[in-house]
Amino acid sequence: MARPWLVGGLLASLLLTGRSARAESPEQAAAPWYVPDHAALQFAGSIGMLAAGPGWAFLDEQLELEVLVGWAPKAVVGADFVTLTLKGQWHPFHLTHREWSFRPFTVGAAFSYTFGDDYYLTLPDRYVSGYYWFKTALRPALLLGGSAGRSVPSLGLRHLEGYYELVATDYRIVQFLQNPSTVKTGLFTLALGARVRF
Amino acid sequence: MRSWVPWLLVLCAGCDVFELHPYEVRGGVRDTNARAVERLERNVSGGAFRFVVLGDIGVYQDDTVDAVRDIARRDVDFVVQMGDLTEFSSAQEYHWVADLLGESAVPTLAVIGNHDLLGQGKELFLHHFGPTFLSFEHGGSRFILFDSNSREYGFPGNVPDLEQLRSALGEVPGGGHLFTFSHVPPGHADFDASLTEPIEQLQAERGVSISFHGHSHRFSTDARRGVRYFCTDALEIHSYLVVTVEGDSVNVEQVSF
Repeated sequence: MARPWLVGGLLASLLLTGRSARAESPEQAAAPWYVPDHAALQFAGSIGMLAAGPGWAFLDEQLELEVLVGWAPKAVVGADFVTLTLKGQWHPFHLTHREWSFRPFTVGAAFSYTFGDDYYLTLPDRYVSGYYWFKTALRPALLLGGSAGRSVPSLGLRHLEGYYELVATDYRIVQFLQNPSTVKTGLFTLALGARVRF
Repeated sequence: MRSWVPWLLVLCAGCDVFELHPYEVRGGVRDTNARAVERLERNVSGGAFRFVVLGDIGVYQDDTVDAVRDIARRDVDFVVQMGDLTEFSSAQEYHWVADLLGESAVPTLAVIGNHDLLGQGKELFLHHFGPTFLSFEHGGSRFILFDSNSREYGFPGNVPDLEQLRSALGEVPGGGHLFTFSHVPPGHADFDASLTEPIEQLQAERGVSISFHGHSHRFSTDARRGVRYFCTDALEIHSYLVVTVEGDSVNVEQVSF
């Protein structure tokens, strides 16, 4: 079951390596759609201690799609977790102030797949259908956030931005709706990250 | 990145505002069951005593807070929660219930439920509550908690572990009572059918007073081979069981809150 996702992860890393070839070419505008235009590196957010991967922007950078491979080490979290996350985000506002650009409000959704036999995408045979209504291998999450960035010529970066994200995973949303006074702000956890535009 | 950034991230990995993975085993209240037994040993009561049997939590944490508050007003020595502490086995749910039960006024122990065994659930239970099999004595009686979630393991034939149960069900010095606690009741479709008769026979042979269970979410009771079996209401029904042990008599009362 994990194999197609592994292939997906490999493809994602190939795309990442592919992008350096693109950065060197002068005719950037002519790059085909599948060549990523940015890359992201993220800390936390329920998809690993660190997650990284390529991203694609659409509609004048209002919409962004990212594919992140995440990892959390056993020494920190008791088991090695490897995840593959598809993240979609909408940045409706874009402000600039001097050399800085801000995207103060971001809303998005993510689906994160965790590799390994301990997690299921389809219920194992020992259960009747519908025994559990959620999938332990696939976590949906809602995202709220914002970002600020600028170009960093000294590092040769056209645009580097830092972002934060409030992440509400499925189990947090369900428990919040049922138990608002226990969960409170536990609806969200925080993720921090950086994006580099090519 | 500046050189201090990685250090800041490592430091932040210790904070609750970050979650590295839904099933991360990290921080929070630990060894809740062992600590409850320790607290209980410091509070040795003579003669009659009471304990509470609390049902499934799942997505009813606010109701559980009400139950814990209600129990604190009663004269009871300890509480046993009957499993399904969580709905998803997520680390965060384990944190919430371990905080609530581990810090409650009355020492509280928990049994593992099927919902607590998903993903890294077993590791999370071991981390926050301790071994899934536990035997302790109080007021001259013996209490045995075990894992009866046979379906979660694919009915391997040794869940529940009857050999372990048999050795724990030895004679109680002083002729006290034996009480057993496990999530899935024998006879339920999620209980290993090949073990239903052996466990009922074993509990009868050893003179178990009451076998307590959860899982079915609705109160029920019956007697099998002279042993009483109770299933507790899940906590959305706002009821729990108060058990009074006084000499030879064991009285079970269903209490609403």
